[in-house]
Amino acid sequence: MTYVAAHEEQAMAEASAWLARLQRDEVSEADSLEFDAWLSAGPGNAAAYRQALVVWHEFEVNAGDVIDELAAEQRRVALRPAPSRRWMFGAGAGGLALAAGLAVAVLPGILAQPTTQTYVTGKGQHQHITLADGSVVDLNAESRLSVTLARSERRVVLGDGEAIFDVAHDKQRPFTVAATSRVVRVVGTQFDVRNRQGDLTVTVARGKVQVRPVDAATSGRAFLLSPGQRLDVAQDGAEALRAVDPAEAFSWRSGRLVYRNQPLSDVVADLNRQFVDQIEIGDPELAKIPITGVIVLDDPRAVMSRLTLMLPIRTVPSDRGLLLLRK
Amino acid sequence: MFNRGNVLAPSGPLESPAADGPLLRTFLEKRENLLLFLAARTRSLSTAEDLVQDLYVKIAGLDAGADVRAPLALLYRMASNLLIDHVRSAQRSSRRNAEWRLDTRVVQGGEDVVDEPAADEVVASKQRVRLLAEAVAALPPKMGQAFRLHKLEGMSQAQTAQAMGVSTKMVEQHIQAAVRHLTQKLRT
Repeated sequence: MTYVAAHEEQAMAEASAWLARLQRDEVSEADSLEFDAWLSAGPGNAAAYRQALVVWHEFEVNAGDVIDELAAEQRRVALRPAPSRRWMFGAGAGGLALAAGLAVAVLPGILAQPTTQTYVTGKGQHQHITLADGSVVDLNAESRLSVTLARSERRVVLGDGEAIFDVAHDKQRPFTVAATSRVVRVVGTQFDVRNRQGDLTVTVARGKVQVRPVDAATSGRAFLLSPGQRLDVAQDGAEALRAVDPAEAFSWRSGRLVYRNQPLSDVVADLNRQFVDQIEIGDPELAKIPITGVIVLDDPRAVMSRLTLMLPIRTVPSDRGLLLLRK
Repeated sequence: MFNRGNVLAPSGPLESPAADGPLLRTFLEKRENLLLFLAARTRSLSTAEDLVQDLYVKIAGLDAGADVRAPLALLYRMASNLLIDHVRSAQRSSRRNAEWRLDTRVVQGGEDVVDEPAADEVVASKQRVRLLAEAVAALPPKMGQAFRLHKLEGMSQAQTAQAMGVSTKMVEQHIQAAVRHLTQKLRT
């Protein structure tokens, strides 16, 4: 080994030691001054430390995806025949080698069959669900959701529907929500997921939420959402990120629907989920009227009379409920 | 990400009281070291840059007449405090960033542009994620477990030590070794 290479190895060993040391819960003044002295001792030190930082930050930003990939590979390996040959560690050519220590922790979870619970709501029905891990789910009307609590993860599948999730903090078990073409991943947070006719909206009130395409074949990129952010993924794949007041997305829970410049057809679609009497829009031009405001869901008749006051519409009874016509 | 770019000059005249004090001189000399110190605990280098900027602004506003002994120690202490504040107010600051991004979107031709993360916060491709995961899985068991719990799952050194049934010193040694292995394998 040449002198330079040995020196570089030494610098990398020391840089790694420093990066680990700076993760301490208590970093003392003496630590920081020693670090400063080490950096200034030679240019190779800062260079080595920067190299380690790049990889360190890459893991920070992609931690969620790496965890998922590790879990996925462990599942793939566990399902292969003759598993004993696979429990060797150290890099093999090609395929993923498993660390035996990790396998022991994971295997019981995979082999023990976790149970799946399904919840379905009808028109006008909201359901408040407390899961075994302490998480709380509020399910909106006409929604369908399944929950699987396993050893190393908590998996939800949201069919057509909407739900607010208040996820109990459990770093050992990421909480994922699969909805249409995306997977939403969190550790301990509060957020709303709305999946209606393949259009997806995720709004975050608390914590960090990762949203990414469900698999490699699906287009789109991963997002990491913070409180006050809303991601819309349309059925055609178009993605849009906005700053919002999360209370607006959560308002359906307290019987209020909030609209910002959305067509009347959207409002009617939402009302039709909440009320048994169905509303039909007779004139296609009416369907496009933009609505901005708050609709209080007290009583279908009261809601409709307010709407007919504000808009150029009138209602006539029909056999399914109400028909909206031009005034 | 709100990027304030290069070092800003204070809004007052250059002959402001703090301009040639020992604190500012030390700061300018040790700026990169302070940056690397903060970057160990931030999500990205650009976040650390923002904090160093905040430190500069704080220093520029101080009275240089004061006799500062051990300016370097003071700088590291101030940097640590800024880091603590940053971690605590992470939620509030992310809301501010979201509003700022909303404004810039309007400026860009009125079209609804998809938000981009900070330039150095790169979301890895599927292939790269595969590579990262393989590298972690290839680590010796204790090392891999410590790295997973502490770095990927975000547990503190103390929490990781408790989960693994070892001392925090042991956790630190595992992380050190993991970082060395992973950097050597994954650096570009």
